[in-house]
Amino acid sequence: MTDTGTPMIRMVTVDKHFGELHVLKDINLEVDAGQVVVVLGPSGSGKSTLCRTINRLEPIDSGVIAIDGEELPAEGKALAGLRADVGMVFQSFNLFAHKTILENVMLGPLKVRKQNKGEAEKNAMRLLERVGIANQKDKYPAQLSGGQQQRVAIARALAMSPKVMLFDEPTSALDPEMVQEVLDVMTSLAKEGMTMLVVTHEMGFARRAANRVIFMADGEIVEDAAPDAFFTNPTSDRAKDFLGKILTH
Amino acid sequence: MNVLLDNLDLYGRGFLGTIQLFLVAAIGSLLFGTILAGMRVSPVPVLRAFGTLYVNTIRNTPLTLVLFFFAFAYPRLEIADISFFWRACIGLILYTSAFVCEVVRSGINTVPVGQAEASRALGFTFGQTMSQVVFPQAVRSVVPPLTNVQIALLKNTTIAAGFSVVEAGGIYAALSERGYNVLVGLLWVALFFVILVVPLTLLQRNLDRKWSTAR
Repeated sequence: MTDTGTPMIRMVTVDKHFGELHVLKDINLEVDAGQVVVVLGPSGSGKSTLCRTINRLEPIDSGVIAIDGEELPAEGKALAGLRADVGMVFQSFNLFAHKTILENVMLGPLKVRKQNKGEAEKNAMRLLERVGIANQKDKYPAQLSGGQQQRVAIARALAMSPKVMLFDEPTSALDPEMVQEVLDVMTSLAKEGMTMLVVTHEMGFARRAANRVIFMADGEIVEDAAPDAFFTNPTSDRAKDFLGKILTH
Repeated sequence: MNVLLDNLDLYGRGFLGTIQLFLVAAIGSLLFGTILAGMRVSPVPVLRAFGTLYVNTIRNTPLTLVLFFFAFAYPRLEIADISFFWRACIGLILYTSAFVCEVVRSGINTVPVGQAEASRALGFTFGQTMSQVVFPQAVRSVVPPLTNVQIALLKNTTIAAGFSVVEAGGIYAALSERGYNVLVGLLWVALFFVILVVPLTLLQRNLDRKWSTAR
């Protein structure tokens, strides 16, 4: 990774409310290119919202968010262009139900990147190969298992050659035996140097693949540490309490 | 039987007019109604307001009034000279679009929000999200009610007879002038309408079958 000095994701004094609820409180965060950041925290702590503000699926009240040095514009063509560079994987997969697996992966490159069909198909097949579902390419999303659908969703995001990948609880809707196949794909992505921000409850993944762990509670970033330091020696009471609950059950 | 055979020219011209009116108005209302539905869910407040106002005004206006407007009031505005046939088409399109809009909008609500979010996250514009992801699925889920609206349109074309467009609704008047039994003549008209609706029903069944497997 070449360090240009510009962080891939930069959030400065970001605030957001849902009505009365203050979901993001004065968030400051920088993620460097090639870094894998795992966001942990109890439910309702604002971690999913944090993830969704980065490509402006959730607008913010105040503050600045920049991707690779470029500030997020308001809704419109410029925002669409910037979103194309930010891959996103959702908890509920969100594959296009009326398109085949192959069409799902090709649609973005065809319509947004204006690639020609041959090029888009070749690239899509390479990615489906990589996530291990090339043999299902003509099926529809509903015909695949959750784990398979999520791997297609990852391939669909990668097809846009994004600068950064956002994962919003990618394994939370999966049966336990399918979690690993998705985490394996994510781990290999992390090893290749993809910049990733992952909201998850998978502590194993956080230990294994993350460069940094961010712990959120009540809309604030409470801790920001290396995984080892965070898991063995959390500094805040909120983090100790959280880890106590999930590690002892 | 004589009523039909002696007046085949009348029936032929009448139903040809009906079919022409229907085809133009069906295509026009599907297009315009879909655009209206897009307005009603768009992020632009002005478009949303226009869509809502349009639907609530036109849907609550009797079709007869809409057609009378184009028959009698429109010429006085002296905008452009359009034939009765095309004025009838415009009236039917404007009226039916309000209903198509609401049907398509209810279809849009069946498409999971997550899919629209996923397409926005891929960098699709609002128009691309609608045309590539939302509309194709929305229309699939509303084929039966959309067919209903089009069948209603087919029958509504008879109102155009009220201002001298040649179509099936006007056949009875010509029959009574020629001195035939109007009741029998009307039964034939009714039968022909049933026959005209059959292809629509078959089309609906076909589309339903095709799209339910591809999901």
